[in-house]
Amino acid sequence: MAAVAEAGPQSRRFRDLLEDRRFLAPALISPAALFIVLLVGAPLVLAVYLSMTDATAGQLTGKFVWFHNFTDAWHNDNFRRALRNTIVFTLASQAIVLVGAGILAHALVRPFRGRWFLRLLILLPWAAPVAVSTIGFLWIFDSQFSVVNWTLVHDLLPGGGHFYLYKPVNWVLGVIDHLPWVHVGKIDRLNPPQWLGQPTLAMLAIIFVQAWRILPFATVIFIAGLSSIPTEVHDAAKVDGATGLRKFWHVTLPLQLPIATVALLFGIVFTATDMTVVYILTSGGPFNSTHMLTTWAYQTGIVSSNLGEGAAISLYLLPVLLVVTVLMLRFARKVEVS
Amino acid sequence: MWATLRERGVSYLIVGPFAIVLAFPFYWMLVTAFKTNGDLYNLNHVPFTYHASPPALGEKLTFQHDHWLPFGFDHATTSHINFIFSDTNYLRWVENTAVVGGLVVLITLLLAVPAGYSLARLSGRWGQSVGVGIFLTYLVPPTLLFLPLSRVISKLGLQDRLWSLVLVYPSFTIPFATWLLMGFFRTIPAELEDAALVDGCSRLKALARVIFPISIPGILTVVIFSFSLCVNEFVYAITFISGTKQHTISAGVPNDLIRGDVYFWQSLMAATLIPSIPLALLYNSFLNRFIAGFTGGAFR
Amino acid sequence: MIWKPSGRRGLSKSLTRRQVLRRSLGGFLILYGGALPKTAAAGVPKYVHKQYKNTLKIIQWSHFVPAYDKWFDNTYTKSWGTKHDTDVQVDHIALAQLPARAQAEVAAQSGHDIFGHLSPQAGLEDQVINHKEIIQEVTRKVGKVSRVGYRSCYNPKTRKWHGFPENYVPDPIHFRKDLWRQVGIKPSTWDDIRKAAPKLKALGHPVGLGMSNELDSNMMLIALMQCYGAFMQNSHAQPTINSKRTIEALKTMRDIYKRGMTNEVFAWTAASNNQGYLSGRLSLAVNAISIIRSAEDANPALAQNTSVAPIPRGPVQRLGLEHVMGVYTIWKFSKQKALAKRFIADLETNYQGAFKNSKFYNFPAFRGAVHNYARQLAADPHKGKYKVLDLIARKYTVNVGYPGFSNAAIDEIFNTWLIPQMFAQVAQGKMTPAEAARAAQHEFKPIFAKWRARGKI
Repeated sequence: MAAVAEAGPQSRRFRDLLEDRRFLAPALISPAALFIVLLVGAPLVLAVYLSMTDATAGQLTGKFVWFHNFTDAWHNDNFRRALRNTIVFTLASQAIVLVGAGILAHALVRPFRGRWFLRLLILLPWAAPVAVSTIGFLWIFDSQFSVVNWTLVHDLLPGGGHFYLYKPVNWVLGVIDHLPWVHVGKIDRLNPPQWLGQPTLAMLAIIFVQAWRILPFATVIFIAGLSSIPTEVHDAAKVDGATGLRKFWHVTLPLQLPIATVALLFGIVFTATDMTVVYILTSGGPFNSTHMLTTWAYQTGIVSSNLGEGAAISLYLLPVLLVVTVLMLRFARKVEVS
Repeated sequence: MWATLRERGVSYLIVGPFAIVLAFPFYWMLVTAFKTNGDLYNLNHVPFTYHASPPALGEKLTFQHDHWLPFGFDHATTSHINFIFSDTNYLRWVENTAVVGGLVVLITLLLAVPAGYSLARLSGRWGQSVGVGIFLTYLVPPTLLFLPLSRVISKLGLQDRLWSLVLVYPSFTIPFATWLLMGFFRTIPAELEDAALVDGCSRLKALARVIFPISIPGILTVVIFSFSLCVNEFVYAITFISGTKQHTISAGVPNDLIRGDVYFWQSLMAATLIPSIPLALLYNSFLNRFIAGFTGGAFR
Repeated sequence: MIWKPSGRRGLSKSLTRRQVLRRSLGGFLILYGGALPKTAAAGVPKYVHKQYKNTLKIIQWSHFVPAYDKWFDNTYTKSWGTKHDTDVQVDHIALAQLPARAQAEVAAQSGHDIFGHLSPQAGLEDQVINHKEIIQEVTRKVGKVSRVGYRSCYNPKTRKWHGFPENYVPDPIHFRKDLWRQVGIKPSTWDDIRKAAPKLKALGHPVGLGMSNELDSNMMLIALMQCYGAFMQNSHAQPTINSKRTIEALKTMRDIYKRGMTNEVFAWTAASNNQGYLSGRLSLAVNAISIIRSAEDANPALAQNTSVAPIPRGPVQRLGLEHVMGVYTIWKFSKQKALAKRFIADLETNYQGAFKNSKFYNFPAFRGAVHNYARQLAADPHKGKYKVLDLIARKYTVNVGYPGFSNAAIDEIFNTWLIPQMFAQVAQGKMTPAEAARAAQHEFKPIFAKWRARGKI
């Protein structure tokens, strides 16, 4: 205190300013905010403008057509399917990620022998650049050389036992077939499944690859969340006699909720706005059946040169994601407070 | 003793299958990278082992005299892996990716740490709204932004240079980093800072001397996540840079290893493996440090 | 909530891990550092050629024949550059990224002086110069442009050459002599293929005709339609896809699929028919000579057993398409227009080098640019197999959009895979041929109307 009091009046005023929350807060935020406004906000405004024009082929100006592009897009079958696919794709892959990461994180917080190595294996999908690892999946799901199909239909124990993997799989599929509303075929040995060529299988393949690559990311976030639960909470739980499943339900799960919500939110946003996996695996799929809004917008705006329409299609994502985001953030805050 | 054995068994039972499913593609890539063309494109061959096949032009059977090798490895070749290094600018791409990643991480930290701190500590009610606002920038897909950004990049004269990526990437790493750090700083008890302030530190000094060392794990997390976001980025990397010597891995590999309708599968597999393993090692080691800092005593 | 420092146990564990990691990272860095001098020695391109006055930037696809790119980048452009005091920089890009890159350059209003597309880009007409001067110069030197080139790159409505047709690639069929001999049929008409397909499938060697959203399928199916006399548009740029002939073509393909192929063909990429044929499984494929050239390197026995022939005849005619067409465009914003025009003109008038180094993949769009096709093709070491390419290139190749021009509407239809989609839905039984043809016409009409409203057709 004394040191501060001895400094001259001018520097004191500056230092007071630095102490003042009302100055410091904006000062610290402004570089980041400025960056984002310039590099995201400005192009976004331009994109909104483009979506209301009939711009084509990369030119950044056009004649105003107001909301014509938006209504036009809506009347296109492919667009409606793309919208549906985006929702299915996002929800399905994130559901898998949420459950998987939750389970995995719990198992990984406890130390055990070999944990470091197993964790390394689990981190691999996230470490690989997504563009090249998806190209790897192109080969894994190839229409002729798929290793998945090979493993399914070939004799895995040629020497003695003769084990064919597709037989037990067909048994399981047969059981599933008995459920109402669900119809799955069986694996034909001479015509193995076309993972990227049959609409349903293609959707499954895309969902799988996206879940595969996001799972490590979500697991790390969950581990961070779990690790930040302070020891007192565990001690208190132990004192209260809560163990095992009860402890999980009443103590760990509620405490994990905020972090789980954040992980889910980021997962949803990254999945809904990303086109890499779909673009590389199916480019929109067997006859446009696996298009997402992002790939359909790319197809319309870039490949077919209808830039205005492409921008309009991309912008359809915005309100949907906005609503989801606000809802989830509100939920997270509520949970955090309690 | 049985309890711990059972616990351990359960751990393996849960983690094992996940690890297998997640890592199998990489094992597959490893096996494929060494295959000869004749072996790879033959539907009658077992894909997991190597088989003799008619030699193709330019393929050298490196191990052909080592018949003791398992899995038929004496029929494998390293020519396709060598192809990446001899016929493409692969090493340059790796270098470019590392440089861009490093610079972007630096910029992200410089801008996001103060922003996160400000939102966590100093801003009160409007901080929430700004936080949400920053997050909303994620809702805009890069497939929409890359065209207007191309104009910006060319006006700045950065087209075909790595600096274009260094400029644009923070636009999606900063929001994420700010968010992470905001949440992180909030969990640091205010008493620590207040103690420092009472002792005569200015707020900025408190930030540097007290908060920063404690938040190293949070900062490391931001480093890993931002770096991984940069390495994975694809759309901007392909659009802003066309010279093959200036490509990053995401842009260079699809360009040079897919020629028209011919895919160089073995080289593609190797090209994926080579950066993934060191990166996974790196992430894993950071994770260790991060968790060690937290779990001291939590789970025994 | 008190902040706890890391416990002793946690600390020591992470220390040993850290040691291991440090050592391995160090080792990796040492290895990498060892490789650095080599990459550093490669240097930054612009410093090496600082002595040239001009710079010319070209971008084009990575040619499937790597030797062509080596010749083009390291030999041809270097020697041309020396003669014209120019540093010619060539960048390559994957096929799939061409449209995105082109539009980004337009948006940025800066980029490469010469952009090499693999199909006529009518949609970009407003962004490029009128290439008629180059056409005129080359015509003066070597003769008229071929029918394919003219109809691909000229827009009769605006009277503008929206691209320079540099080369086109004939699209033959490849078939296994031994297998077709076994079934006792020759693939000279589409009906022959229809008859042979089930027999070949029974042998385990089906025919490979894709119906997927990729280039090979697109080309093959449009060619099939042409052989049946069905066309996407007429010479007045009106959509004519809904016709009895289209329905015939759809029926044929559905037949071939149902009795002779499996549903893998809906999942094919451009590489799938190559790979399927090279593995020895497929007995027929419609593709540029990339298949047989790959076979010559990787499986000479297979190459020996392969014949190359023109597209099969349909009930109306025998007419195929170019597999790809190399089109060079110069942006309006380029600062080196004159130099770019000179480069393209020089390349085309002396096309011999490109023709040979692409292993006869690239045929010049100006027929007179190469002499003695027959002799060169016959001189190929593989026993004159390629002689038929000349016949295909001269008689059986037309542009996409024949009998009209390759205009922006055709461009859009081609790029959005409407034809493979139509065939796939019929083959899978999702629509009858009549419904599909009607639906296609329904989809074509607004596309044509839109571009007509923009004054492009």
